Amino acid sequence: MKALMSVGALIGVLGLLMLIGMIFGVVPSNTVRLVEGYMPMQVLSELAVFVAGFTGLSYLASSMGMTIPRFWQGVLFWAFVQTYLKFRIYPPIPFSVRAMYGVVSFVAVFMWVSANEEDWKKFRQPILNVLDANTGFHKALRTMYLILLPILIGGFSFLTMKPSVDEPIELRTVHPAPPASTKVHGKTYTLQTSQNPYRVNLEGKYDQAYSNKLIVEQGMGRLMAPNANPWDEKAEGYLKYVREGGEIFFQNCHFCHGDNLNGRGLHAFAFNPIPANFTDPGTIAQLQETFIFWRVAKGGIGLPNEGFPWASVMPPWEQHLTTDEIWKVILFEYWHTGYYPRTWD
Amino acid sequence: MRNFLMSVKVSPVIGVALGALLLSASTVGVGQAEDLPEGFAKGELAPAPPAEMIESGKRVYFTKCVWCHGVDGAGDGPGADRLWPRPRNFNQGTFKIRHTASGELPLFNYNEKTPDSGKNDLFDTVTHGLPGSAMPPWEGILTEEQRIQVLSYVTTQLVKDRKFTDKQSETQTVLQLATIKPAEATEDSIKKGAQLIVDKKCIECHGVEGRGDGNAFNLKDDWGFSIQPANWHKCWNFRGSRQDPYNVRNIFRTFSTGVNGTPMPSFADSTSIEDRWNIANFVNSLCERDEEGKPLGIDPLTDKPKINFVVPSTAVEGEISNDPENEMWKKQPRRYVAMGGQITHKPRNFVNRIDDIWVKSLYNEKSVVYLIQWDDRTKSIAEGKLPWAPTQVNVENFGVKEQAPKTGEEGSIAAAQNNYAVYNDAIAFQFPIKWQEIPAPFKPRYLWGDAKFNADILKWEADGSLRSFKGTGWDQDFEERDDFEEKVKLLKSEWKNGQWTVMISRPLKGDKDDYDEYTRFDIGKYIPMVFFAWDGHNGDAGRKMAVSAFYYTILQPPIPQEVYIYPAVIAVGVVFLEGWMLTRRANKKKGKVL
Repeated sequence: MKALMSVGALIGVLGLLMLIGMIFGVVPSNTVRLVEGYMPMQVLSELAVFVAGFTGLSYLASSMGMTIPRFWQGVLFWAFVQTYLKFRIYPPIPFSVRAMYGVVSFVAVFMWVSANEEDWKKFRQPILNVLDANTGFHKALRTMYLILLPILIGGFSFLTMKPSVDEPIELRTVHPAPPASTKVHGKTYTLQTSQNPYRVNLEGKYDQAYSNKLIVEQGMGRLMAPNANPWDEKAEGYLKYVREGGEIFFQNCHFCHGDNLNGRGLHAFAFNPIPANFTDPGTIAQLQETFIFWRVAKGGIGLPNEGFPWASVMPPWEQHLTTDEIWKVILFEYWHTGYYPRTWD
Repeated sequence: MRNFLMSVKVSPVIGVALGALLLSASTVGVGQAEDLPEGFAKGELAPAPPAEMIESGKRVYFTKCVWCHGVDGAGDGPGADRLWPRPRNFNQGTFKIRHTASGELPLFNYNEKTPDSGKNDLFDTVTHGLPGSAMPPWEGILTEEQRIQVLSYVTTQLVKDRKFTDKQSETQTVLQLATIKPAEATEDSIKKGAQLIVDKKCIECHGVEGRGDGNAFNLKDDWGFSIQPANWHKCWNFRGSRQDPYNVRNIFRTFSTGVNGTPMPSFADSTSIEDRWNIANFVNSLCERDEEGKPLGIDPLTDKPKINFVVPSTAVEGEISNDPENEMWKKQPRRYVAMGGQITHKPRNFVNRIDDIWVKSLYNEKSVVYLIQWDDRTKSIAEGKLPWAPTQVNVENFGVKEQAPKTGEEGSIAAAQNNYAVYNDAIAFQFPIKWQEIPAPFKPRYLWGDAKFNADILKWEADGSLRSFKGTGWDQDFEERDDFEEKVKLLKSEWKNGQWTVMISRPLKGDKDDYDEYTRFDIGKYIPMVFFAWDGHNGDAGRKMAVSAFYYTILQPPIPQEVYIYPAVIAVGVVFLEGWMLTRRANKKKGKVL
């Protein structure tokens, strides 16, 4: 038990040191990276590790006779959660959302300290001590609170009331509902039934199982499968089309969507909404190939209003590419990210 | 340098002869260590990477790199012709960012995986990317192992004219950056640096104020491609910034080792370490900072300054000064507005030379004034009359064309730069007309509005014109509004040392309260705003331009009285509450019940 708790305490101390280091810029903030797409899971597991660490810490402290009062445990834990949310998570969460988390964690801490009568007594004892002020120290503390509280509350309400020029929050639908069909270069494509004409096996038949075997491997780096090099001179069919699609991608699309298809292209920093990150499991991996075809062909200007067509700089690619080129680029995007297009069934 | 490389490529005989020459030179160098430039020490060539590492690297290369750098590493992949700077041609072994002396190969050691150790230049380049170019940071995408593997492949298979392990022809003279103590950036050091950049003729290329506007033309790299001197005011675009742009060490390193393949030489032989720090400190001090002189916050996702999408305008009494150095302007915070190429409709601008502008705004009871400043290495005013009318937006028929995707090196952007027909530098911004009646979040399309929601566009051109247009769509010619043009005013337009300063005043509203034609500004409301910029020497005209995202401008209302009164009332309330609570507690303890 003791050994287990010591390990927990060690983890807790290390984690805290790292977080403090990150806040003051001593430890580079990318020491433990938040991986895109997995961030919620990562944050939850990190918090779980911290909780384990704190359990160990408080156990060790009490076994050494330095029990941390329940009151301070509660206060410190709540403060920790706020610090974590403010400094660890990137891109930063707006204050309003953090305030919500603050209330939720306050309620959680409150439930924890008031779980039973004894705990509750322990928790409120320090508060009562200050209120009653029987000792000199508590008296000083009480006076301090009496002066500080009005100043803090008054100051805070001044800051909230002062007109600020924050950016108005406007929520945009990233993947709006597609139309039933779309007309590109004079031909109508029904989204439910159309297929990528280049997703074919060596016999020239539509074959997703075949292409799935040749896409890049998942995991760090997402490298091409061995012996599936689109740049091989002997590459035929699907892989050859992937290369052709890649050529079009790197002549047209990477400026925004980036060399690694992660939405960090050369011009991406200037635009809002930011370009889609295809390596994120929430984008093309969730969508059908024909949905992508519609989005690529019609671009930002072809979005329904909930997608903010006025703000998107995504070109209507039918103005720049042929239908075949669009299908090939889509083929390349799925190949390069290692995702399967979603199917209708 | 270029000829030298070519001759090595063409004639192996001369190559061998030169190699021998280099060898004799290097033996002399070893014999007399004191000949090394200050701060450098002789290094050993790193061992060759094992064959399986090279083989694994090939897989990385053909997944990620081949698209720009090409099958043979000649920097001629499918993406190359639309990029400027062009992707690196690895064949000659010429690399920009190094710790080694000018002309030497960079450091690469497959055993060294510590980032920023100063012992593995190529690894750091792949890790951090080359900001300001299309080379992204690969950290977090490729593992350390994969980055080492791909470099093993590049250095052994794609660097063809030189050999990283050849002791006969290669030497390593390494800048000992880790052990050199930086000189503090004192006022004195910066002052000395400011003098040194004149003495050392840095300003001939980098310009008097370091905006890269000195010899902005005719500079070519080893391959004959157009190249431009760095703008010291945008340190986040320094290729060697290693995602740490305000770190003076990066500047010291580049200044000490030079940039191979470019006209930037190494100054190590001619400049003492102290003077190099003075120069580095001065150059670093020029990089843009906030009002308090602190480095700008850099967004780790983009490696550019963080963006605030609100451009606030502050109220002033009386006349608004047309001098940006006036106290009323100096007090006003400026906003960084990021600019990307217009790549939505033809002709697309893949290489926009204006990548940001700085905006400030003030207003009084009559008008709102925008002070816009941006760096442009070249002052461009079209010679003679432009063949199109100012209202015309579809100018493709007059030779304003986008870069073709496949041209070969000769026709690529990198070769064509600085050979374009010169048009006017220009800046413009748009607001929605009748934004009061457009339900949020609807807006006229960012690119000159649309048929339903029209845009109020104000455009200044370097020929001195300031025109007001109505925009009804990206491909619709503007409608000119002469009656409004009389009311807008150009308070200032000046190009100085690589920077444009343009100040534009427009009325808050028309004669009556009618706002059918142009935007009426209401105090305290968010009004969407988009910026456009043209660089005449980049062949920018019509839709070939740089464009921003949607920003908001807001006329900040003076702070109302209530803001001071209510918090005071609340604070007093809290005091009463405290008193009540304490009394109650005391009474309860005494057993009194009220």
